[in-house]
Amino acid sequence: MQDKLKIYGREFSSRFLIGTALYPSPAIMSESIAVSGAEIVTLSLRRQNPAQHEGNLVWDLIRQSGCQLLPNTAGCKTAREAVNLAEMSREIFRTDWLKLEVIGDDYNLQPDPFGLVEAAAELVKRGFRVLPYCTDDLVLCQRLLDAGCEVLMPWGAPIGTGQGLLNKYSLETLRTRLPQVPLIIDAGIGAPSQAAEAMEMGFDAVLLNTAVAKAHDPVAMARAFRLAIDAGRSAYQAGLMVRQQTASPSTPTLDMPFWHQADPLTQE
Amino acid sequence: MRIAIAGGGLLGRLSAWRLVLAGAEVTLFEAGSLARPAGACWTAAGMISPLTELIHSPYEVYRMGLESLQLWPRWIDVLERASGQPLHFRRNGSMVVAHQCDAAQLDQFQRDLQRTLGSAATKEMTPLDAAGVSALEPDLQHFSRGVYLRNEADLDNRRLLGVLLDELRRLGVGLVDETAVDCEPHAVVLHKGGERRTFDLVIDCRGMGAKAQARNLRGVRGEVMVVETSEVSFQRPVRLMHPRYKLYAVPKPDGTTVIGATEIESEDLSPISLRSTMELSSALYALHPAFAESRIVETSVNLRPATPDNLPFVRIVEGLVQANGLYRHGYLCGPALVRRVAEAAGLVTEVTTE
Repeated sequence: MQDKLKIYGREFSSRFLIGTALYPSPAIMSESIAVSGAEIVTLSLRRQNPAQHEGNLVWDLIRQSGCQLLPNTAGCKTAREAVNLAEMSREIFRTDWLKLEVIGDDYNLQPDPFGLVEAAAELVKRGFRVLPYCTDDLVLCQRLLDAGCEVLMPWGAPIGTGQGLLNKYSLETLRTRLPQVPLIIDAGIGAPSQAAEAMEMGFDAVLLNTAVAKAHDPVAMARAFRLAIDAGRSAYQAGLMVRQQTASPSTPTLDMPFWHQADPLTQE
Repeated sequence: MRIAIAGGGLLGRLSAWRLVLAGAEVTLFEAGSLARPAGACWTAAGMISPLTELIHSPYEVYRMGLESLQLWPRWIDVLERASGQPLHFRRNGSMVVAHQCDAAQLDQFQRDLQRTLGSAATKEMTPLDAAGVSALEPDLQHFSRGVYLRNEADLDNRRLLGVLLDELRRLGVGLVDETAVDCEPHAVVLHKGGERRTFDLVIDCRGMGAKAQARNLRGVRGEVMVVETSEVSFQRPVRLMHPRYKLYAVPKPDGTTVIGATEIESEDLSPISLRSTMELSSALYALHPAFAESRIVETSVNLRPATPDNLPFVRIVEGLVQANGLYRHGYLCGPALVRRVAEAAGLVTEVTTE
């Protein structure tokens, strides 16, 4: 039996957080969320006219999924913008959970570490439960924890690239140095194998959107990711063997004395 | 057979036209003005592009698109002969391009089509190198790759709407505009005064106007710009693939180019946002720098009526047919949907070879 994901005082059976953008239709979005098993979904207020709150059928469908809503501040470039959008989102979606995004570079959509820490501190003060989308920089992560974040969401690669875990050294460092902090890999995951890898490394969960929404068959891909994330977590709990240089047969070959085996050093 | 049609957009006009030709006595009710329709049919670019739509639409949209591609030339032919006006039905294909750094978008597009259509995709799409692109579109000479979709088409949608209206008038269709109605089996009820008029059949083609009576219908905001320049001329609709912004540029017979369209899950009809104008403009500028000096002659915002699965539907109960949900596929799926409406009315309007 898998252990639960614990963040901000809540427990979740699923370690798959899924986004709600870019699907071919709202119906396919709903079905993908259901099949993913996700219990937390991200959604964005961006581009909505804040004066029009009611009657958004897509939001209604997302609410009907019964998942914890995680509004994001996608597209914000300053702490101030992010704080404003966070307040609007809290009012409209009636939750103080927030995926904090402060973008520092337009082309990479790379988080701005300075704006992120500034916004996180302010939002925590205002009572938000902040899940910051950050880079894999250890010191930035420590500053975000100092600011009062209880969960961190380092990127695997830039948003929408599907490149997987680009900097495994940094990610491993984060995992080793912050063993008690829930760490969710957010962004850059393109294939289920990459999600499984993140989970095998001991990350607590994976958040993704494009890889499912833009798949040829989003519902089937949602299932593939669910299975991969489960597999990765189980593997992490089971304890992976350490990679070895030399082959060792899983069935001992008793009939072959070791001095008969090929020795690369004494050949020729 | 006495038929009332509610909604004077593309679907209502086409249905009225086909049904009157099939011998019905038709009255068309429109909440707004018939001369200048308020619906998405006026704002649209008039593309009939089943292949480029296939990558983000259900297969059924593609099938209806192929059906419409068969119907349009015949219908256009009749309308052009009757009206003496050219409708610029252009079966000149369409072009999809991407910048070198976004080449993965083109790869993905080709792979998705291949996967859905199998070997048929090879017949429909032609990958082009730089020379191939500029041979077809001389103004796109700075693109090193593109994909040409030879069977796609487009038409002059605003003129079509006018010609259809003239034809309805000539054929004796009752035209009642500035009159909002509710639809019931065998009757329409006028909002003003509550008068109830009975018919053998009521066909509801109101699009967003039917929202109060149609469950699960939503509007998807779309913003377009119309620009004018003599420095760039495309021969066919051109689409730019970009990881964040999708753009089409459709050259119109009057020398303007319609560019669009944003897709925002909101029923907000307020004017185009600064962000959207910047996104559309920079994508257009990326297609050709000479667009920088083009003049913005129009911006428009409209709502696409859509269902949760983004598929159009025809629902039939005794005495009432409801057709809706054309979403971003009015000209692509319109004729196919009209054929279903006519079948529902028990009238055969089309003999096909299928």
